[in-house]
Amino acid sequence: MSVAEGHAEGKDEVLELIRRSLPPGKFKEVVATRWPRRYIVFIDAWALRPVMEALKVAGFDRFIAIEAIDWYNIEPVFELLYYVESVKLGGPLVIVRTKIPRNNPEIDTIRDIYPLAHWQEIENYEFFGIRFRGHPDLRLWILEDNWEGPPPLRKDFDTVKYVLETYYGGKKWERPVKRREPPPPRGEE
Amino acid sequence: MAESKPRMIFLGPQHPGAPGNVAFKVWLKGEKVVKAELVPGFLHRGFEKMMENRWWEVDVVLSPRYCVEDPDNFELAYVLAVEDLFGVEAPEKAKVVRTIVAEMSRIQSHLFWLMHMGGATGARYIPGWAMAAREEILKWYDYVTGHRIYHHYMTPGGIRWNIPKDFKEVTLRALNKVMPIVKDIEDAFINNRILRARTEGIGVVKGYVAVQLNATGPTLRAAGIKYDVRKVDPYEAYRDVDFEIPTGTEGDAHDRIVVRIREIYQSKRIIEQLVERVKPEDLNYRVKMPLLPPPSLPWPAVARHGEGMSRVEAARGEAMVHVVGIKDRKPYRVKLITPSMPLLTTVMDYIIEHEDITIADLPIIVMSLDPCPPDIDR
Amino acid sequence: MALKALLLGMKYLFRKPYTMLVPEKEPPMTTERTRGRHLLDMSKCVGCRMCQMVCPADAIKMYKVEGDFKRNPKKIFPGIDFNRCTFCALCVEVCPTGALSMTDITGWYMTTTDTRTNLRSPYDLAAELAKNEKPDFRITITKQTFLYQTKKKG
Repeated sequence: MSVAEGHAEGKDEVLELIRRSLPPGKFKEVVATRWPRRYIVFIDAWALRPVMEALKVAGFDRFIAIEAIDWYNIEPVFELLYYVESVKLGGPLVIVRTKIPRNNPEIDTIRDIYPLAHWQEIENYEFFGIRFRGHPDLRLWILEDNWEGPPPLRKDFDTVKYVLETYYGGKKWERPVKRREPPPPRGEE
Repeated sequence: MAESKPRMIFLGPQHPGAPGNVAFKVWLKGEKVVKAELVPGFLHRGFEKMMENRWWEVDVVLSPRYCVEDPDNFELAYVLAVEDLFGVEAPEKAKVVRTIVAEMSRIQSHLFWLMHMGGATGARYIPGWAMAAREEILKWYDYVTGHRIYHHYMTPGGIRWNIPKDFKEVTLRALNKVMPIVKDIEDAFINNRILRARTEGIGVVKGYVAVQLNATGPTLRAAGIKYDVRKVDPYEAYRDVDFEIPTGTEGDAHDRIVVRIREIYQSKRIIEQLVERVKPEDLNYRVKMPLLPPPSLPWPAVARHGEGMSRVEAARGEAMVHVVGIKDRKPYRVKLITPSMPLLTTVMDYIIEHEDITIADLPIIVMSLDPCPPDIDR
Repeated sequence: MALKALLLGMKYLFRKPYTMLVPEKEPPMTTERTRGRHLLDMSKCVGCRMCQMVCPADAIKMYKVEGDFKRNPKKIFPGIDFNRCTFCALCVEVCPTGALSMTDITGWYMTTTDTRTNLRSPYDLAAELAKNEKPDFRITITKQTFLYQTKKKG
């Protein structure tokens, strides 16, 4: 199912509001999706910060998450999706989508605009290796002490094989274990 | 004493005051907490990658497992996202039954949290009562779905088995066993003077600040903001169900406790309305799913690929699932967006920054936020 | 308020304990829908490997069994490793001939070797089911038990 086959009948006030409040020239397109009250804003990577700032001013106040999609074979890019919803306007959701090149994944941080973005950016750094320009604390956070290797969620990296080789000595789901003897029957000395 | 440096200690992951598999680095000055930093990752299992390596319908088995306490809402989120991608609509009966199962999951999750809350405040009688009440719901789950904790009852396209013949009686009987215990807990624990003294005025996140901290779920509602995905973006059978969103006024730890207890009553109300509408004789509870996702129409950014999205209100707040499918038996990408991360990062930081917290208050604040640490790690 | 809490506590003090003594007094709690140990009807199984392919936990391996099985020319049968099985019943759902089914045997029944309690060991269960049910029924569990059963038959 295509996402953009909108329910375009009638005038959509929130769509108009988003169009009006985004800085002109900084975004490519704003579309209503086939889901009611969810919108997508397509932007270029350089325009992320002005667009997110404008969205916050327009009332999209609750930041939800950053998602990264690795379009490895299909297109050499990481697509980033920023989910923002508006509690003030009663629940519409905006997804800001942008693409960054796969060989040099870098994008501006928005951690000063939305506080949760700080942690979401760390998560995307460790799972995809995306560097967020201006983020002071990019490190292994969830994977701390448990992982030495390339970012595990990238498509060109066979995580299962790496884990089996590194942590399980090449064996499939079996560590070399000692067989336990069955316990003696109860009541016997 | 005055010039002493903050001392760092670990709280968790094996600590009765820590909410499960998560640790905090706590910096103390004397008894006062200066800073607390989350140390997640003790239960990271790589669900997003695992789901990319399994079939669409098999991933249902994985989808509830990243949160033990509230499995069905997350299962519902995944199932709805896949249905959305495949363009399949579940039959009416399946929708109603799924809503009942999800609301039961909310009740048992809140009861499980009551156990933690009683443990954190040192009220040792509460864990026993709360677990006894939860046990009734687990027995109901065993009777209806076949399992106690992870049910795998939903599937893209409906539910996997028909409901038992005496579904209505069994459901109401389970609720009637749970509710007196909840009432007792309310009388003995929530309105208790000792608990009020320990929780009132502590951990205040009040008003619009909660939104700015990107908090969600009962924490947001206790801050006084009437926001619930079941109302603002209704899914499944919530469209034509009559219920209220309980909100708090002060936004402190006690308000969060009260909001959750009132949510249990609202869930009961939802179930009582819905249970009238399902009939065991109705055999239209599952539609067949196509094996492959349909080829999608071109759309601006990424042509040829379909996407499905769902948005549900889990017991801890808004949960979303975003699935991307190329024409394949397996998903290309599954993104699980879970509600617990803001609670333990931004909200915790805000509370510690703005209040004088002692080490004794810390477990109460953490538990009153009711995080589910596994869903941070995934 | 505190007095009320105390009174309520007294109420619970004089009640029967909620906990159950499993396995000393009572068997594990099951209902008729409880998904437990699998049963394999070896006369129906065609060895199509569907259950192996669908298993999310990779718990099913196919084992070769000697014997006269008309519908199963390859003579391979699923053996389920219950250390890995999640009891999601997808293998039962996907089975094209209905050879796999599930019993309500869960918990300690599946692993115990202790004969003094009221739990029965896998060996006893296998023997009992082979006696009472149709003789073609076999319980498939870990590799050792599977071999044990087939040896006994041959």
